[in-house]
Amino acid sequence: MVKRDTASAVFGGEMTQTPYKILVVDDEPDLEHLMRQRMRRDVRSGLYTLYFAQNGVEALERLNEVPDIGMVLSDINMPRMDGLTLLAQIPNIAPDIRAVVVSAYGDMKNIRTAMNRGAFDFITKPIDFQDLRVTIERTLKNMEEWREALESRDKLVRLQNELNVASKMQQSILPTEFPDSDHCEIYANMEPAREVGGDFFDVFGLPGGKIALAIADVSDKGVPAALFMMSSRTLLKGSAIGAVEPGAVLKEVNDLLTEENEAAMFVTTFYAVYNPQTGQVDYSNGGHNPPLVVHPDGSSTLLPGTDGLALGVFPGVNFGQSAVMLSPGDLLLLYTDGVTEAMNADGEEFGMDRLQAVFSDAPPVSTEAANKAVFKAVHEFAGETPQSDDITCVTVLQRQA
Amino acid sequence: MEISVDRANEVLIAKVEGRIDGANAREFEDALNGAIGEDDSKVLLDFSTLSYISSAGLRVILLIARLLQKRNAAFALCSLSDPIREVFEISGFDKIISIHDSQAEAVDKIGS
Repeated sequence: MVKRDTASAVFGGEMTQTPYKILVVDDEPDLEHLMRQRMRRDVRSGLYTLYFAQNGVEALERLNEVPDIGMVLSDINMPRMDGLTLLAQIPNIAPDIRAVVVSAYGDMKNIRTAMNRGAFDFITKPIDFQDLRVTIERTLKNMEEWREALESRDKLVRLQNELNVASKMQQSILPTEFPDSDHCEIYANMEPAREVGGDFFDVFGLPGGKIALAIADVSDKGVPAALFMMSSRTLLKGSAIGAVEPGAVLKEVNDLLTEENEAAMFVTTFYAVYNPQTGQVDYSNGGHNPPLVVHPDGSSTLLPGTDGLALGVFPGVNFGQSAVMLSPGDLLLLYTDGVTEAMNADGEEFGMDRLQAVFSDAPPVSTEAANKAVFKAVHEFAGETPQSDDITCVTVLQRQA
Repeated sequence: MEISVDRANEVLIAKVEGRIDGANAREFEDALNGAIGEDDSKVLLDFSTLSYISSAGLRVILLIARLLQKRNAAFALCSLSDPIREVFEISGFDKIISIHDSQAEAVDKIGS
């Protein structure tokens, strides 16, 4: 639609815009002449363009021929099709046209019918041109406001759709089936924040019966973060299948992500190669929260860091790696900062201590139960405070080595 | 989130108060870009009154660091509380951005 400054256009400011188009419908042949004469200044200055029709049928034809008519000024009693019938038809052609009816003085019955059929206003005959001018200004202003409101709504709907796309992308890349064998049990899930966030995890098989484990958190939110997440995840999987050492995998992904990263997005990533037969976990930590190993007695230890940096920040850096052995009954818990940085009403963070306390009295019996226990503790802590970040956990239970 | 700006020894010192998260990271970015003048060649962010920073906030720090690096300007942070320092340590950002214990120490290091 044509955007314009309603106030200056309607109330006689400088005219630089195309004129408003007004369709006048009346079966009195004299009216066209009268209107052209009385409105000639406004027409000449480019404020309005007038179109005329002698009845409802002609009016509908005119509306079909001329685009962007903003207002219809219509008599009620006319041959072929009267004004009230016309009113009922207008929304089918152009829903945001404003109609003003012209009726005989005191003809309340028709006026009420017209208003009920969606007329914006009415004026009475004989036409008082001063009143008509005010009515036209008011009507066109209302139409402009309506159009602007519609435009804002459309923008909002588009934005909402975009966010839904991002959220679907995020959900679609997360695996939903996990290894479950004599040696190990794995479970992972994510509770997305209302605004689409950037957490993802991955669990997939590697040669030799090993299993790749990854958890990551993309900085920022929204569609760009979701796209960055998609490419991070694809690059990680690609590298993981090519390289053996976790440090080498993160280095390769980092170099690829930093190549073109004007937006300075980054992704904290913990990546591990897990051998269920031996319980050995080789890992490299790219700036992610340190995972936790929970022992059968409920005590837990943090995995030492590997001198890493979030991926996408700096090209060419090397990523160290380390290893940990899971004993039977040990549970490896990978999580994102949506867990430890969940806040309560007092602005306190959930934190590491509370995370470790989840298991101190009740060591987990299964990976799914472990995740549920963490989510429950986080939700109980946060109370009514809205969740601002995705909450993600990946857990591995070593059954026997 | 509030930013107050001061200058000492040719160092632009921006003190950040409150929290920086996904909701106001953009505002933080605009405020910093507005505070840092074209001629500023030494920039210090004082985090003594910063209560929280999310990864969206870290991204803004990274953007500013890159921008200043491009024009060979010095950039440092100071006075991080323990939880905030931990965020920088876990993400590895402490490896690419210099962090000082106090404003005086930082100004001493990067000032002229």
